[in-house]
Amino acid sequence: MLLEIRDLRVKYGNIEALHGISFHVEKGEIVTLIGANGAGKTTTLHSIMRLPPPEAPKVLSGDILFEGMSLLSTEPHDVVRKLHVALVPEGRHIFGNLTVMENLTLATYARKDGASAISADLDRVFDLFPRLAERRNQRSESLSGGEQQMLALGRALMSKCQTLLLDEPSMGLSPLLMYEMFRTLKRLNEQGLTILLIEQNARLALRFAHRGYVLDTGEIVASGSSAELAADPAVKKAYLGG
Amino acid sequence: MESLIQNILNALQWGSFYSLIALGYCLVYGVLSLINFAHGDIFMAGAYFAFFGATFLLGKTGVIPPGMPGWAVLALTIPISMILTSALGVTLERVAYRPLRRKGAHKLYVVITALMCGLVLENGNLALFGASRKNFPTLVPQIVYSLGGVSVTNLKVAVILVAVLSFLFLHYVVGKTKIGMAMQAISYDRFAVPLMGIPTDTVIVFTFVLGSSFAALAGVLFAMSYPVLDPFMGALIGWKAFIAAVVGGIGSIRGAFAGGFLLGFVEIMVVAFFPSTFRDLIAFSILLLILSLKPTGLFGVARRTKI
Repeated sequence: MLLEIRDLRVKYGNIEALHGISFHVEKGEIVTLIGANGAGKTTTLHSIMRLPPPEAPKVLSGDILFEGMSLLSTEPHDVVRKLHVALVPEGRHIFGNLTVMENLTLATYARKDGASAISADLDRVFDLFPRLAERRNQRSESLSGGEQQMLALGRALMSKCQTLLLDEPSMGLSPLLMYEMFRTLKRLNEQGLTILLIEQNARLALRFAHRGYVLDTGEIVASGSSAELAADPAVKKAYLGG
Repeated sequence: MESLIQNILNALQWGSFYSLIALGYCLVYGVLSLINFAHGDIFMAGAYFAFFGATFLLGKTGVIPPGMPGWAVLALTIPISMILTSALGVTLERVAYRPLRRKGAHKLYVVITALMCGLVLENGNLALFGASRKNFPTLVPQIVYSLGGVSVTNLKVAVILVAVLSFLFLHYVVGKTKIGMAMQAISYDRFAVPLMGIPTDTVIVFTFVLGSSFAALAGVLFAMSYPVLDPFMGALIGWKAFIAAVVGGIGSIRGAFAGGFLLGFVEIMVVAFFPSTFRDLIAFSILLLILSLKPTGLFGVARRTKI
């Protein structure tokens, strides 16, 4: 198992946000966590990334295992550079005061595999997102929302990730851009990228993912293959609009 | 005419001191949005470390025999002071600022902590070494060059040169290197920095090392120019450098230098035309006017709120 969340209870601020959830992600899979606002989806991803205080969710009990090893005492930058897990956070969090190129360069900060591997990855990112290549010397806060999302994804790829956590990637994108991005993600998955996706747009998420879990106020209430979940009457009613 | 050039040289020298200190405020503020009010005292500590290093190397403490040439003592004193002062700056960050950051404390508490750190440094020095002033030894003989009616010392030239080179160095480090980009990234969005595989705390420590070592450089040069040290020497000059950094546009290296030199010029030019007791009154009135016209400082940009 690549990633296993085992009976995880987490406090975020003063409230218990996750009440003992368990799920797993196999290598090469696309897994989605669907659920309403405030269900604890983002908290789950932040817990996996081991984000530092004060943003960090505090693990009360349970464990997060990556290839069988507990992540609980791992530093967030080591999750990225040693385990090759990346998070594209909700709201993108690109560095607006830096250029597109500088944002992408920064993501290679901890890479030790040499300039030629890095420039090959840069070519790949520019190949996936030609718009970024056009705007490489532009300050990234001047990009459109869709372009910023591409940059956030490109940045994750530049960190040489093999496991990608995506937090609401469709937010603020036009339908056209959204489908384009999901097609790109599908292609990356076929090339071996493991994806854990959080989406409010459950319909879209279930069409894209192999398997899914439904998170409801800190508890997993349903799980199964995407087809099973999409056919489940309760899921249909609550998340797919009937 | 001669006196004007003379004044300009003096202004450049004072501007250099202010600039070198201002950039420490600027770097730490730029990265952490923290006004490190202990920074003036870091400068003082730099001068004291230089004093102890120089007297030790000159053989005055009796541990090593005297006889080392002055230039060699100076060449060793500068790195010694920079290293020890950096260690002090990093200690403050580890002991005082980082725990607050971890707990997500409000900025007000961090600023007050910085103020208290400054007071601890001043009074710690007072308690350890007493109130008597220390005379900084002469390391290199002063040479006065006269050109026309204008005289300039080798030291003054060195001070100005060091400030200019420091500016070029920092401009390069912050703008062009990966760690410099990481510093800028932290200032914009600290949340996303570890997601790039960057150890945030290491970058913050590096920022304190840069700021403190340039304060130490200013401390050494200041002690050589005005060789009387006391525990409170960093207080007023630190405040002034902070004001210079804000007027220049805090957070921008260009701003720190522009503000530092501007303050140097204003002070010296006021004294050239008015009684010297008017100096700070008029100088700060002018800076106040500049800020009211351009509240973000000369090179500052208003930070747009993120969406």
